[in-house]
Amino acid sequence: MTINIQEQNGGFVAILSGRLDTPAAVKAQQDMVPLMENADKEITLDCTGLEYISSSGLRLFLALRKETTVKGGKVIIKNINDEIKKVFMMTGFFNLFEIV
Amino acid sequence: MALQRKLTLPNDINAVSQLNEFIDMLCEELGIDMPTNMALNLALEEAVVNVMSYAYPEGTKGEVGVEAAADDDRIVFVITDSGKPFDPTKKDEVDTTLPLEERSIGGLGIHLIRQIMDEVKYQRRENQNILTLSKTIKS
Repeated sequence: MTINIQEQNGGFVAILSGRLDTPAAVKAQQDMVPLMENADKEITLDCTGLEYISSSGLRLFLALRKETTVKGGKVIIKNINDEIKKVFMMTGFFNLFEIV
Repeated sequence: MALQRKLTLPNDINAVSQLNEFIDMLCEELGIDMPTNMALNLALEEAVVNVMSYAYPEGTKGEVGVEAAADDDRIVFVITDSGKPFDPTKKDEVDTTLPLEERSIGGLGIHLIRQIMDEVKYQRRENQNILTLSKTIKS
């Protein structure tokens, strides 16, 4: 699992790839600190290369989303695969995020 | 095809990859499609991580057993541990329709297990937690 963060047009883009399972989420939480610190901006999570997500990964997404609400930014989730779409459906995440 | 497999893991979340391999191999042998394979991976990861995180006191070693049994149309997983009594089926259902401000960070694991599996059953027997998860499969 890798997270590559780039600054783009005044916002941030994080490119996620691999499996965001429980052990990966422990590390990803550290990797996502710069995003949490910039939660006043527009943050795009590019999930083109994301293969799998479990509840620990979903919790990171939700924590970031909550932080942007507090600080005035927003989270856009891009290109999630069909299986992750199902997980988003099961957990009601479609109502919480802007998904493109 | 009838099939039985068993896996024993330490209570260390880094062992989750072994669980994934176990499920992938099982699904391959049974000819289970990729979406179902991934859903089973997710349900089992949630159940096993729950045990790894909460069953044993922090810093103590313990084990999690995963037994899988499948026949033509059903797969059953029995997850066991010798930790403190804990019934995950007693956890309140997550309300996935709540707005962001009211959504809590936790509780998604058991919710996903319930969504994916057809039956979730808990028993406490001989100082063991026994969680049985079953799902109808087409193979």
